[in-house]
Amino acid sequence: MERRDFLKLSAAAALAAPLARPAIAQTPATVRWWYHFDNPQNTPAALVAKFEAENPGIKIQAEAIPWGGGNDYQTRLFAALVAGNGPDAAMVRLSWAARLAAMKALEPIDSMIGGWAGRSDIPDNIWKINKGADGKQYYLPLQYVVIYLYYRPDLFQQAGIQPPKTFDEFLAAAKALTKGDMAGFGMRGGAGGFDNWGPFVIGGGASFEKGGMVSEKALAANRWYVGLARDAKVTPASAPTDSFRQIVDAFKAGRTAMIMHHVGSANEIVGALGDKVSAVPVPRAADGRGWTYFGDESNAVFAASKAKEAAFKWIAFLSTADNNIELNKLTGQLPITTSGAAKWTGHPKRFVDASQASLPIAGSLPDHPKTPDFIARIWPTNMQRALNGEISPDDMMKAIEQHFNG
Amino acid sequence: MKDRRTKTRRFLEVELPVLAILVFALAPYIWMVLTSIKPQAELSLWPVRYLPENATLDHYRELISRTSFAGNLLNSFIIAAGAAILGLAVSIPAAYAFSRFRFRGRRMLMTGFLVINMFPVVLLIIPLFVLMKNLALLDTFLGVILGHSTFAIPFAIWMLTSYFNAIPKDLDEAAMIDGATRVQTIRLIVLPLVAPGVVTAGIYIFITSWNEYLFAMMLSGQSVRTVTVALQLFIGEFTIQWGLLTAGGTLIALPVTILFLLVQRRLVGGLTAGAVKS
Amino acid sequence: MITSAHNSFSRWTPAWFLAPALAITAAIVLVPAVQTIWLSLHDYLLYEPDAATFIGLRNFAAILQDEVFWISLGHSAIWIVGVVGLQFLLGLGTALLLNQSFWWRGFARALVVVPWALPSVIIGLMWTWMYDFNVGVLNDMLVRTGIIDAPIAWLARPDLALPSIMAALIWQGFPFFAITILAGLQTIPSELYEAAEIDGANRGQMLRHITLPSIADVIATALLLRTIWVANSLDVILVMTGGGPGYATHTLPLYSFVRAYNSMEFGYGAALALILTLLLLTVVWLYVRRASRDLDR
Repeated sequence: MERRDFLKLSAAAALAAPLARPAIAQTPATVRWWYHFDNPQNTPAALVAKFEAENPGIKIQAEAIPWGGGNDYQTRLFAALVAGNGPDAAMVRLSWAARLAAMKALEPIDSMIGGWAGRSDIPDNIWKINKGADGKQYYLPLQYVVIYLYYRPDLFQQAGIQPPKTFDEFLAAAKALTKGDMAGFGMRGGAGGFDNWGPFVIGGGASFEKGGMVSEKALAANRWYVGLARDAKVTPASAPTDSFRQIVDAFKAGRTAMIMHHVGSANEIVGALGDKVSAVPVPRAADGRGWTYFGDESNAVFAASKAKEAAFKWIAFLSTADNNIELNKLTGQLPITTSGAAKWTGHPKRFVDASQASLPIAGSLPDHPKTPDFIARIWPTNMQRALNGEISPDDMMKAIEQHFNG
Repeated sequence: MKDRRTKTRRFLEVELPVLAILVFALAPYIWMVLTSIKPQAELSLWPVRYLPENATLDHYRELISRTSFAGNLLNSFIIAAGAAILGLAVSIPAAYAFSRFRFRGRRMLMTGFLVINMFPVVLLIIPLFVLMKNLALLDTFLGVILGHSTFAIPFAIWMLTSYFNAIPKDLDEAAMIDGATRVQTIRLIVLPLVAPGVVTAGIYIFITSWNEYLFAMMLSGQSVRTVTVALQLFIGEFTIQWGLLTAGGTLIALPVTILFLLVQRRLVGGLTAGAVKS
Repeated sequence: MITSAHNSFSRWTPAWFLAPALAITAAIVLVPAVQTIWLSLHDYLLYEPDAATFIGLRNFAAILQDEVFWISLGHSAIWIVGVVGLQFLLGLGTALLLNQSFWWRGFARALVVVPWALPSVIIGLMWTWMYDFNVGVLNDMLVRTGIIDAPIAWLARPDLALPSIMAALIWQGFPFFAITILAGLQTIPSELYEAAEIDGANRGQMLRHITLPSIADVIATALLLRTIWVANSLDVILVMTGGGPGYATHTLPLYSFVRAYNSMEFGYGAALALILTLLLLTVVWLYVRRASRDLDR
């Protein structure tokens, strides 16, 4: 059997399939759209109804796909694309962009964006972050979150300290607040924890360029970060495998004084702690340099779609001011449009402010096919081994350097 | 076997250990039930609060009215029952053949069925997805049922072969000498005797299919979505809907437990071994 | 090949009995399995299907040099022996107890299947939550009763993570053994016990000389099937630790999954899976040879 069988099989099937779907958009075009919302009680039905009323020729078939830590959604999407059974459009992440590009699965939407009125309502730096490696635009930004620092104002006041602005202040605060059942910093060493590590280590001077992870500055920054758990002992003993659920639960229960997460958990935490929680941008290095993770979400149209125009109309509809607000009420993230952000009331203001104040230093991970593997495998295993003393912090950085530039 | 122990001794030797095992078996489930009736604010407190202060059925109400859970339960039931029926229908004759006939390639075929079971399904899933797509079976009951037969059939064949082996061959041979056809012999003599085994294999397939996630996630879409996939939707990227999840988990175990309560009598009544020997 | 009483059947009879099972299995499993074997000989990235190159056995050579493979193999051995062994012992004890007569037996038999009736996702999440360092019920109970002084990070300590997950899986799977063995116990003729009782045998002797030999075949099959299932099971690990901390809970199927889906290195993942299959095959082959010798008598 040939190795490209997957594709050949599916190509044969794709040739047989068009009977089912009219090639010309005269008759109603159907757009299959895949999405994931955090709360299954929320459905996009109202948005779909509104869109179909405005665009009589188009039917939207919205399908919720289990997120499964990102893995299930990705697997399902890639399997469907390989089998030639993919949706017309779907919610996608920047970290998958290089892989989708390698598969030639995406449709460039530059020309369609050119004629779209909503274009200027999305800030330029967001367009820039979302641009493809070849300079074309494949992603239409939909929503975002930014990692910031949650802290307990009541405990800070008791201890007579201010929310930290620098790494040193952060360490001092964490030390001051660690006592008894309370840990100063609820470090996330489990799945997805690179977003806790990045602000200190990338912010502290590391980079994804060649040699960027093993520079003197980068190694020192990582030693300092691992030291929070191993030397300063300001983190819970469970830090190596704690993921967002554990850090948020512990913070809600009053067992940690600071965690790093984003606006997506704000309402839940406020539900437990009320006024006793606030947020500031992540601390910066002594030289004023800083970095935080820009958690992106976009829509993309797939190259294999038979209804690209209709699919674009739908995703553009979702990124237009008021519709985008409605969508974000369902997802719990932040509106992507400038006009939408001004009107946004979905989260208490202090968390929206902290998010916006973080934007100047917010960045994404490299647009590289190995990035998802870095997030899901390389970072967690090496971080956890370093946190448990099985390897040195420097070995961890060498492993990351090897992964990207080996 | 007659039990000549006194009541107290039986309590100490049987009922008390059974009780201990049940506590072990049920404790996590009970914790889940307790969680499912706690209001949102009482979840994840420190120190841990064991009993809900204001017990509520809100999560169950939301689960039924605001999500597609009830429909997903029905889908799961159809798929699990379908997998059990299909699995047993093709496995009973095959197991009978393996148990009663000696033919060339028998050992190889039996091993072959096991080997299939040994292959990690996670790696079969993408080729299987392509195959189902080409057969136009994606998002159909039959597609998921066929997917589940990958583990159901090998398992049932092996399990049933060993139950068939426990029935003496003289018995069906005697019946055939008396003029019964082979099909009659199977239906009237062998199957009733092997009923506990058939029920066990059926339960196994039903439960495994009921709990299966990966095939269901890949091969089903919105129209035949199972409960396991629906539950996964409660685990979002940034939040876990603990209330909905535990309410769903509580409900999901009930049909299987009730089913088992109904069929467990068959395990007892199916075979009175005296009939075998006399 | 044919004993005296069997000469009445035509040589094609077994084929008819086997045909449906063979047809379905071949259609659904064989094609994907052969594709996967073929993939294991390639450097195949799911996102670059056109760049796949045939590399012969080089994936397998690389695996033998891969430190993580050996770590995972060791964990798999502990995992299989520990989980299957304890599930079996607990299940056997449960089955023997549930085979005694007491008035709430039917009820107990139904309740004992509850752990088995729950999907792995739920089990993984519930146990993770119970093990939680900060808000978990297990630490709370142990601290309250004075068994430990301070909470334990069950899933974050390399020495405790694997045993902790194994406990969850033992809990999930022992009802399978209990039910299967219980069904086997029903097939033992009561006359055997009555005769033994007349001969003055005690309970322990009856267990050793009547009960266990009578259900040996069922036990062996159940053990075999369960070994295969446990060897391949990874969803609970995936939910609870994802293989961490570090490589502390990496087993072979988990590592294969991680390489195939996180890294999308399908060739390498398929090769890892094949090695696991080959190792299991050895075990099965030994078993089948022994079992068929018994059956062919």
